[in-house]
Amino acid sequence: MKKSKLVWLLSLVLVLSVFLAACGGKDKDETKGTDNNTEKTNKPDAKQELNLMETAEIPTADSALVTDTVGFTVLNNVNEGLYRLNKDNVAEPAIAEGEPKVNEDGTVYTFTLRDAKWSDGSAVTANDFEFAWKRAIDPKTGSEYGPYMMNGVIKNAEKIATGKAKPDTLGVKAVDDKTLEVTLEKPVPYFLSLMAFGTFLPQKEEFVKEKGKQYAKNSDNILYNGPFVLTDWDGTGLTWKYKKNENYWDKDNVKLDTINVDVVKETGTGVNLYNSGEKDRAGLNGEFAAQYANDKNLVKTEEASVFYLKLNQKRGGKTDTPLANVNIRKAIAQAFNKEELTKNVLANGSEPANYLVPKNFTFDENNKDFRDVNGDMNKFDATAAKESWEKGLKELGVKKVELEFLGDDGDLSKKMDEYMKNQLEKNLPGLSIKLKEVPFQNRIELDTKQDYDIQFAGWGPDYQDPLTFISLWTSDSAQNKMSYASKEYDKLVKDANITYANEPAKRWQALADAEKLVVETDAAIAPVYQRTRIALQQPYVKDLVIHNFGADYSYKWAYIAGKE
Amino acid sequence: MTQQYDKLPPEAFKLVKVNSTHAEQIARPSLNFWQDAWLRLRKNKAAVISMIVLIFIVIIALVGPHLNSYGYNDQNVSKANLPPKISWLAPLGIADGYAEVAGKKVDVYAQKNVKENYWFGTDSLGRDLFTRVWKGSQISLLIAFVAALVDVIIGVAYGGISGYYGGKVDDIMQRIIEILAGIPNLIIVILMLMVMEPGITAIIIAIALTGWIGMSRIVRGQVLKFKNQEFVLASRTLGASNSRIIFKHLLPNIMAIIVINTMFTVPTAIFFEAFLSFIGLGLQAPNASLGTLINDGYKMLQFQPYMLGIPAAVLSILMIAFNLLGDGLRDALDPKMKD
Amino acid sequence: MAKYVTKRIIYMIITLFLIASFTFFLMKMLPGSPISSAPKLTPEQLAVVEAKYGLDKPLPEQYLQYLGNMVKLDFGVSFQFKGADVTQLIINRAGPSFQLGIQALVLGTLIGIILGMIAALKQNTVWDYGSTLIAIFGLSIPSFVFATLLQYWVGVKWELLPVALWKNGFSSSIMPTIALAIGPLATAARFVRTEMVEVLSSDYILLAKAKGASRFEIAFKHAFRNALIPLITVMGPLAAGLVTGSLVVEQIFAIPGIGEQFVKSINMNDFPIIMGTTMFYSFLLIVIIFIVDILYGIIDPRIRLAGGTK
Repeated sequence: MKKSKLVWLLSLVLVLSVFLAACGGKDKDETKGTDNNTEKTNKPDAKQELNLMETAEIPTADSALVTDTVGFTVLNNVNEGLYRLNKDNVAEPAIAEGEPKVNEDGTVYTFTLRDAKWSDGSAVTANDFEFAWKRAIDPKTGSEYGPYMMNGVIKNAEKIATGKAKPDTLGVKAVDDKTLEVTLEKPVPYFLSLMAFGTFLPQKEEFVKEKGKQYAKNSDNILYNGPFVLTDWDGTGLTWKYKKNENYWDKDNVKLDTINVDVVKETGTGVNLYNSGEKDRAGLNGEFAAQYANDKNLVKTEEASVFYLKLNQKRGGKTDTPLANVNIRKAIAQAFNKEELTKNVLANGSEPANYLVPKNFTFDENNKDFRDVNGDMNKFDATAAKESWEKGLKELGVKKVELEFLGDDGDLSKKMDEYMKNQLEKNLPGLSIKLKEVPFQNRIELDTKQDYDIQFAGWGPDYQDPLTFISLWTSDSAQNKMSYASKEYDKLVKDANITYANEPAKRWQALADAEKLVVETDAAIAPVYQRTRIALQQPYVKDLVIHNFGADYSYKWAYIAGKE
Repeated sequence: MTQQYDKLPPEAFKLVKVNSTHAEQIARPSLNFWQDAWLRLRKNKAAVISMIVLIFIVIIALVGPHLNSYGYNDQNVSKANLPPKISWLAPLGIADGYAEVAGKKVDVYAQKNVKENYWFGTDSLGRDLFTRVWKGSQISLLIAFVAALVDVIIGVAYGGISGYYGGKVDDIMQRIIEILAGIPNLIIVILMLMVMEPGITAIIIAIALTGWIGMSRIVRGQVLKFKNQEFVLASRTLGASNSRIIFKHLLPNIMAIIVINTMFTVPTAIFFEAFLSFIGLGLQAPNASLGTLINDGYKMLQFQPYMLGIPAAVLSILMIAFNLLGDGLRDALDPKMKD
Repeated sequence: MAKYVTKRIIYMIITLFLIASFTFFLMKMLPGSPISSAPKLTPEQLAVVEAKYGLDKPLPEQYLQYLGNMVKLDFGVSFQFKGADVTQLIINRAGPSFQLGIQALVLGTLIGIILGMIAALKQNTVWDYGSTLIAIFGLSIPSFVFATLLQYWVGVKWELLPVALWKNGFSSSIMPTIALAIGPLATAARFVRTEMVEVLSSDYILLAKAKGASRFEIAFKHAFRNALIPLITVMGPLAAGLVTGSLVVEQIFAIPGIGEQFVKSINMNDFPIIMGTTMFYSFLLIVIIFIVDILYGIIDPRIRLAGGTK
């Protein structure tokens, strides 16, 4: 007791000197551990331990219930589905042994499973997939992603989700222990990329039933068939560990023994932990990104998430807003400087987006980027914006317009909102913007009620196909929520989805036409930027793979070289 | 010795008449309570300095935003993150527009080709911090004063009624207070802010909602103390009405303690607003308060310490000044009093 | 005494009931629930999920059920952690928060007492002004600024203590404790100073002086003890103040405490956790105030608890 009192007193002395020191100007920012010669060696060190941070807890580790990036990342590293995203973000066979057999019209896929084991030593069987998928679609499970991913893809999914059919009727069947047969509703060109998604992971029926309500509530109550097993996770805590899974079929390619993860919500704290050498990688946001822009350990990864303004045409789905006028929408879409926004305000390497479907995300058979079809649309142009603005005002017969701008209340979002308000008001005379910043959940609620005029929103893809973005704006889409209804658009999407399902070139063009319609012709949304993930990462961390859709990270191939 | 007296002429002696009215005369000018307090307060250097500082800050908070040509929400992203530059201080090496970038001192103004000077620098959207800091002080002070005022009104009314009428009324009112006091006000404030449309009014309501309890308790205590004292009894005997007793006799006597308490409420409110900004329930952009400025600045601590330092310094000076003035007033108005 | 205690306990129950009802209806007024805002649910699924959380029943029924469960210390299941038991979550998170709170309270009051005594014994000297200034400084620096400064200098620059996280036992708790203690320290210092000044000018101190007792004896044997008794009365508010601090400090030092979770739940609209935590904090505060009152009555015989007239 005495001793600890002394420690306290000493600490107090420290506290006081902090203030004195804080007044004395700042020191150079040296990042420890950067003096390692990165080229020196790529030979793995003896100690294979990686220290990482997450920005949020794991809400659930049940693949049927998971909805968030942390959950998907964890599952991606401790479990494995039929397919897995490789280092180049391409889905390749994992638990499936080789490519599946597909019937002629592309509606029945037959997978053969390889010899893989759960962490308890038992074999991964076709029944584990059948069980997990049926569980995910069963309304009783209350899964959000199950129906979302399966509806319209796997046979009978929609009927089951709406309670019109029994879960047993889902188009998935374990023919024997090693053979899984999946029947689709219609041909789905991107079906195999779905197989790498977290919702389609297997679950062992016996184990899930035995654990009952306790299933996946902590790291002891899950079975693992992926590169790592989860340990030291109490279900709601701020810390967990990955340990190498000795039962993993491809364990020879897994080099890391341990990954220590801690949840750190303050970016500043994360950077401090990185600088003190305690953590090997720290994500950066706006302010910190700008400060570390020239750091040699800065790692930038382009994401496939696109952010845009939703322009609500009917408030509450009933009364017309000024945004129902196409000229007004066009004016707004062109009235803010995206270059300046991404370069100076966001300053995290994100790029201006003059499109809806991100670049470097989807490619046709000739490996040409989908982006090449339409190129840039509705670029920043203050003069053009003003012209359409005045035209729009005339059509509406008003001089002044007040619009509510709904955004998140995160630090970076607030800064962006302020910038947008300033830009829009400056470039469009007579416009006044009322900012409304609410927590993410509240924004989504207001979105659902269509209770906003302009909303800053974003979308990250769930599978590798332009459709994941294009399908958002059909008139019956649950994500539309801005009363954009275009028969032409609906038809184009239907064409892409059904009519041309087996004609890739025509399908591609239909999707591109739809994009052009929604972004340029109708200016239903105003794209803002495509996000880039930016982080500080120690040079001794090798092959940590970052995906641009699905789960964020794969640690399977990561290793430490040159730390010692 | 005695003989000498004999030599004195009898005319030297005159009979003095005692004028009884002289005994009642007051040689020094009469001082009322406040003059007396002021005399005592004046002796307390810290309190006087604090008062001057406070007056100065209030004035500059009102005038400051107009001292240069920038508006508090004029953005110019190409001039973002400039360090402070004041031309007459620059030769001293302070506020010279230099900042350390990657270990080297760089003239950021030259680098970004900025001709004009920003006295407190600019923030990440290129807004003038001088204007924003004083605009922010204005809003913080406004929030604090209004919250304090509401506290005083509700607190004095509640405490006064409870104490003055006593008996059943007091009993019921105090039970209510007892129950309310158990509610953790921070939590309630947070919950209230989640429901209300965020903004200055919401923050004021939230702070005032729970702040008056302390005031009402103190007022009640004082009223209880005074209401049975002789001068009140005398007044009552002479047939004074309740309102006369309250306003003429009780209120002046408890005024001191109300003033002192308010002095401590104001800084608490300023502080609370800053805390709310941190957990994301503060003012809506682009409004600035000291709280939001500090919250913006603390993330840049390692790189642009001025963004935190300046608003934090203003906040600290305000807090210190209010506290010292409060202490001084307490000593001056009632040296024996404690909180 | 027994009568007084019973009366107080009844009040405590009423208070808790009011808080529970207030929070419940406030939560119902809030825009946005994590369920209705799940962007990918169809109306049919929504109905299923709402039924699962009991949100499909009429409001009064929900309210009664909520109160009934609360009596059984069951605050339902979290929205953000799919199906995690709120009571269990609070229990899991309480440890670090309690440790920090108690350490900060002890450290803060100890140093506060020392500062306050120095100030009172050396009234109107440099010592007095110095310690008063430290106390006021403690009141004037927002705790998140202070915590950030500490973390950067002590943790990153000087490498004296762990930067953050809750991994290295006691040493992990030092910086957060200091950051938390600064508030109680300031309050205690000011309070002790005022009390001591008053006690020092009382008759019995004069008597002690007249008897020829040494300065030390007067300060510690006579003045100190009597000045400290009233300090107990501010312990309740002090402990409540720690809650405010913990929201901030836990977040900055990435400590798995209740405060940190509370802030997150607010941003996630996780009503069960918000309600559970509110009740938890309220209960704690009420119990502390209650204990303080009882203790005060026991220590200071001048205070009569059982219905004395004023």
